Amino acid sequence: MSAKIAVLGLVIEEPGPPHRLTAKLRQRLSSAEFVDSNVYSALSRLERDGLVRAVDGEQGETPVRLAVVPTGATARKVPTRRTPGARTDSRMFEATSAGIAHFEEWLLGSSSAPPLRDELHMKVALCQPHNLPRLIELVYGQELVCLARVQELRRSFQRLQPPAPDRWSGLVLVHVRDAELSFWDARLTWLQGVRESLERMHAAYEGATRRYSGA
Amino acid sequence: MGALLSLRGVGKSYWRGDSEVRVLSEVSLEVGAGELVAVWGTRGSGKTTLLKLAARLECPDRGCVYFGGGDMARLSQAQHSRLMLERIGWVRRTGPKSDLRMLDYVALPLLAEHGRRQAYARAAEALERVGVSEHAGQYWSSLCDGERALIGIAHGIARAPRLLLVDDPTANLDVLERERVTELLRSLADEEAIAVLMTVPDMAAAMRAHQIASLGAGRLIWAPEPPELPELEREPGKVIPMYGRQ
Repeated sequence: MSAKIAVLGLVIEEPGPPHRLTAKLRQRLSSAEFVDSNVYSALSRLERDGLVRAVDGEQGETPVRLAVVPTGATARKVPTRRTPGARTDSRMFEATSAGIAHFEEWLLGSSSAPPLRDELHMKVALCQPHNLPRLIELVYGQELVCLARVQELRRSFQRLQPPAPDRWSGLVLVHVRDAELSFWDARLTWLQGVRESLERMHAAYEGATRRYSGA
Repeated sequence: MGALLSLRGVGKSYWRGDSEVRVLSEVSLEVGAGELVAVWGTRGSGKTTLLKLAARLECPDRGCVYFGGGDMARLSQAQHSRLMLERIGWVRRTGPKSDLRMLDYVALPLLAEHGRRQAYARAAEALERVGVSEHAGQYWSSLCDGERALIGIAHGIARAPRLLLVDDPTANLDVLERERVTELLRSLADEEAIAVLMTVPDMAAAMRAHQIASLGAGRLIWAPEPPELPELEREPGKVIPMYGRQ
């Protein structure tokens, strides 16, 4: 999934300035690890392709920015005007009809399966008996990584206090969170099985080495 | 404040013929009053054994189990039975052996200690606390899995325990039922200061817990705190020694 389509979906849901879209993207799809620059470049490409447009006060919600009044004593909110060369962050974006059609086409289209290419799979496939102790450590370390990711999700879930799952907005958040958790469930299950096997193999290998040395 | 339940270096093995099957190795955990701890594990990972050891329904081969600071191994059978009656609640997934009305099912274990009227009043209160008063007159066989899970919790809390042991409360539940059950368990910890140790078959059921651990290949591994993550990803095997937080 590209940042472009994710940002387009969020703009359709509610027009907004880039910083707000960035925050929403982080909340909604934390596992995808999008960074701020992804949102800005996505908006540039969407605007270039005619899928979103920057709006000013006459066409949509008036975007505001903090400005310092001439006395310099206090800040007040003033409406922004779209001016060439203005900072992208001060602009408000909304979807065009072409953007909505493009998003609908993507949403209703079939989804591809991600390729499975994991470095640890290769290490397990290619390891030698003398590598087993280090490989066991690596597997254990990966279990900790999985648990740390789950911990992050738990903390963010408890901090955000999302809407109750019997409301649509709450339910979709739970489904997206569960998708990521299912991945960590599956990976942890696999890692535990691998660790158990490697530990058993290592014990057998050590036993055989001792017997051979003693003979 | 010290932990209400504490397992220190607990190990348990079973014998299958001549071969030893090590279910738990050097397991340590603590659950304090008002704390919800979730232990994730697949089927056969030793979760139920862990709960049985916590209640000392089984004896560990190695290590100690403490309740309220006291070594449970030193309790007489009568003292242990008393503890199980008054302080420790066990939430099971299986219902009554015969098909009872839910109010009778929850009141049944209270009858021996309280008068009939008080037992039924407390059972009704427990059903209300978990939000299923409307099912008081219904039979187990007529309830769906989500309702059974809640009734099981009512059964477990009817005697106002200080520690609640909950075995896979969300197994076979849909998303909404799972969220309702886990929210209830969290509220029992937060609002009634009950120490809750629950096992879960998937991490989604652990999202409301205060602490999470995984159980597999005999080891209990605690979820590290987020600041450790970047370092873990750089050097997974070196940052934390194997089974470091036991």
